[in-house]
Amino acid sequence: MPLKLTVIPEQCCGCRICELVCAIEHFGVNNPKKSAVRVLNIYPHPVIRMPVVCSQCRVPLCAQVCPTDALRWVEGVVQLEPSECIACYKCAESCPFGAIYVHEDCELPIKCDMCGGDPQCVKKCPTGALRLLPEAALGESKRLDNILSYTAMKEIELYEEGEKKVIRYAEVGKEEL
Amino acid sequence: MSLKGGYFKKGLWVDLTRGAIETRGLADAFLERYIGGRGFGAKLVWDNLREHDFKIDPLGAENLLVVAPGPLSGVYLPSSGKNSFVAISPATGLYGDSSMGGGFGVELRQTGIDLLSVAGRAAELSVLFIDGDGAKVIPMPELKGKSCLQAEGLIKERLGSHIVHMATIGVAGENMVGFACISADWGRNAGRTGLGTVMGSKNLKAIALQGNKDLPVYDMSGLVAEADKAYGYMKEHPFFKMWQRQGLMNVIDYANETGILPAYNFKDSVFARYQQINGTTMLNHYKIGDSACFACPMCCGNICLVKSGKYVGTVVEGPEYETCAMLGPNLGIDDFAAVLSAARLCDELGLDTISTGSIVAAVIEGYEKGILSLADLDGREITWGDDDAILELIRKIAHREGVGDILAGGSRRIIETWPEMDKVILQVKGLEQSAYDSRASISMALAYATSDIGAHHTRAWTIAKEMEEGSNWSDDERVGIVIYHQKLRPLFDMFGVCRLPWIELGLNELHYERFYNCVTGGSLSLDELLELSNDVYDLTRLANVRLGMSRRDDSLPYKVRTNPPLTGPNAGKVINQEDFQRLLTLYYQKRGWDENGVPPASLAEKFNDRV
Repeated sequence: MPLKLTVIPEQCCGCRICELVCAIEHFGVNNPKKSAVRVLNIYPHPVIRMPVVCSQCRVPLCAQVCPTDALRWVEGVVQLEPSECIACYKCAESCPFGAIYVHEDCELPIKCDMCGGDPQCVKKCPTGALRLLPEAALGESKRLDNILSYTAMKEIELYEEGEKKVIRYAEVGKEEL
Repeated sequence: MSLKGGYFKKGLWVDLTRGAIETRGLADAFLERYIGGRGFGAKLVWDNLREHDFKIDPLGAENLLVVAPGPLSGVYLPSSGKNSFVAISPATGLYGDSSMGGGFGVELRQTGIDLLSVAGRAAELSVLFIDGDGAKVIPMPELKGKSCLQAEGLIKERLGSHIVHMATIGVAGENMVGFACISADWGRNAGRTGLGTVMGSKNLKAIALQGNKDLPVYDMSGLVAEADKAYGYMKEHPFFKMWQRQGLMNVIDYANETGILPAYNFKDSVFARYQQINGTTMLNHYKIGDSACFACPMCCGNICLVKSGKYVGTVVEGPEYETCAMLGPNLGIDDFAAVLSAARLCDELGLDTISTGSIVAAVIEGYEKGILSLADLDGREITWGDDDAILELIRKIAHREGVGDILAGGSRRIIETWPEMDKVILQVKGLEQSAYDSRASISMALAYATSDIGAHHTRAWTIAKEMEEGSNWSDDERVGIVIYHQKLRPLFDMFGVCRLPWIELGLNELHYERFYNCVTGGSLSLDELLELSNDVYDLTRLANVRLGMSRRDDSLPYKVRTNPPLTGPNAGKVINQEDFQRLLTLYYQKRGWDENGVPPASLAEKFNDRV
């Protein structure tokens, strides 16, 4: 089953280790500005630290606008064929997430290649904000949250040693009056 | 040996008076000897002092502000996001430095320079913008009166880029309040020694940066292997998760338990309602996000939001231990929302939270004791825990209104005005003491007294170790640990990395020797690096001595000598003046200084080489 690189922004602390390891893995240099993942900090209201990374779309807009077909979806990854790329950066402009990057030292656009299936950013993320999940698991947490809103489940919040916990339960065996 | 990595070997010199901007090469000998950060700053400040015959007005155009990350800043290794600011301090009139985390120093390095030196004074309020192509000074008088956070937003808009990093000052810096800080990344602060004031005196509202250069690393694969080992070690540490969750806020519980938490202006060293302002309360009711400096897995920063009550809507990066202790228990405040509000106010105005907390607490006690009259306070009463009056006073300090004008001068000005206030302000050399009560630990008292910037814990923090295992330490051991800390901890500032992985998660200092050598291609041992750091300590001492400092300035605050904490595990303890003086003499001996704390005259020549 294809694996998908996903982001849990609430867990991102903005340390940018992902940026560093990406640049080191792909360019062998210590330069967070040569990374295919970037952490955007937007402040204040609300506080957001959002790693922006390629979603490897099945219908990739970047590939559609590519005049030389240098970008192709192959086995779950939108791959860039360097020999066909003319460095027009239309892909970077068209990506709806802004997840393709350009750096003046690099001719080719900087685009996530999933490190051949073993993304370094996921491995080195200290908070678990970047994760590799099976496609079928996507949306799981949203489904759960959503279900709670229309089922009769009740919810209580409690704190254990400073950690917030939620217990969900259905009230059963209660007689209707 | 020539350096194969770690540096661009370039510095940027800006003279705001003349509008001159110049890039100069940096010699290997200079880079090797002073390493970076405060090392660079100390050397440049020393040269500037010599040029001006050791007569420098901290607020004069001649004072140099040096901004320097280090060779390890921004590099793939734990917590490499530090940057130092160095100048003659308006708080002490002596050498001063302060460091900040976040991403500012990394961005500075990515513009392709190792240090920035700012002299002169701009004709109107300006922003210094640096990118890979050079630098320019942009007048932006419209920023006058804007808070640090507002200014950061406005400058980003004006420059048309949301990825610039910048360091700004607030109203306090513009008004040259003696303890104004420099703020970056929406709430990272270089707080101490009034360096925001120096920026204000130069009419420099902000330094904005955008860089994209590769940082020079000599042995990348060696570095990655070493860094991965260190990251792995930290993640396995039993306290790692707790640091991520609470950051420095976990220290509140520890400090209260061990009796070193400042309460009511250090009248006490425990706080009965500490649980209302501790890390657990923060986690359960206020924390909405984590915040990390560059490349740091510990992410000790917190982001808090007040969700209800009169401070609803207050968002702040922080607080951490010092801020919470100085603006909470030390002012008798037990409402965490009020602490957050005060922290936010200080961030906006650009005030150092430690000094602000200390001075406001001294005012409250001074009024309580009758040293200050109601008329002195412009008719507004202020008492412990009165958050409205406290916030109002903080505002008045930044705007220099009424009594705020005197308080804005810092401890020295306050004591000049009301000599009796010396008995209630805890300060050394004019810098207010941090939030660790040194009456519990004579080595900590010595650390505060001999710190080159005044009563700050950055140079040596021996209190925990002495309380845990030092009850039978000899004088030699007590002095020894202070000197060891004063060598090692500044070395982190010179490298441009944070010391928390070492002091809190036990990351061995030998890692840093290997990091340094991988990055620069050098082959220095930890001992050799510590000696270089020690040289810088000698240098800052020399500068201070030439600026008029002597043994009597390596002193203890009145309270530490005279007034014991009322309750808690350290109730009744003070630091005996004779014991202290004996340790101080031994300290000078071990450092090779004479009994007045003056380094040998021959030492000065060591530092007169050219940059």
